Amino acid sequence: MFFALTVSVTFAFLSKRGAIERVKYIAWAFLAFLLVAVGIGWLMYPFSR
Amino acid sequence: MTDETSKKEEPSGNVMMGAVAAFAGWIVPGLGHLLMRRWSKAAVYFLCVGGLACAGLAMRGGVFAAGAEDLFDRLGFFADLGTGIFYFLAHVIQTAGPDVAHATGDYGTRMFAAAGMINLLTVLEAYEIGRGRRI
Repeated sequence: MFFALTVSVTFAFLSKRGAIERVKYIAWAFLAFLLVAVGIGWLMYPFSR
Repeated sequence: MTDETSKKEEPSGNVMMGAVAAFAGWIVPGLGHLLMRRWSKAAVYFLCVGGLACAGLAMRGGVFAAGAEDLFDRLGFFADLGTGIFYFLAHVIQTAGPDVAHATGDYGTRMFAAAGMINLLTVLEAYEIGRGRRI
């Protein structure tokens, strides 16, 4: 989660201008990171044994 | 938009300023932006890159050394080198040494490399600001 947050914040400052746009981007990217991580975890579960 | 505002946002710079900003930003994350008076970006980049790098080292992640023969290790070295001062001070920050035998250490290795890659992106932005191509 720390990784997702720091990368989201950095990308927001790199690619967006304006506080509102940055906050929106941070929220979107952070949630996307978490969803993808959980999704990949679920996909890998059948192969874990 | 007033004339004053448009004058303030008008990009100005040259190759030398860009190179200095890029080099400074590589050595200390955010320093390039600090020199270009982008205060908030400088603080955010320093905290994010520094936080990721220190977290990676605290998790006892490995740091790739120069002169590796394996291609993956060489790529890892360049990624790690991107963190600038954190790469050179890695052995000071990480007193216990790396432990990549455990998952935590492996995650730490990736986090440190990710910090380096992210800092290289900020270095490119600092160069563009110094060149005057970006506000």
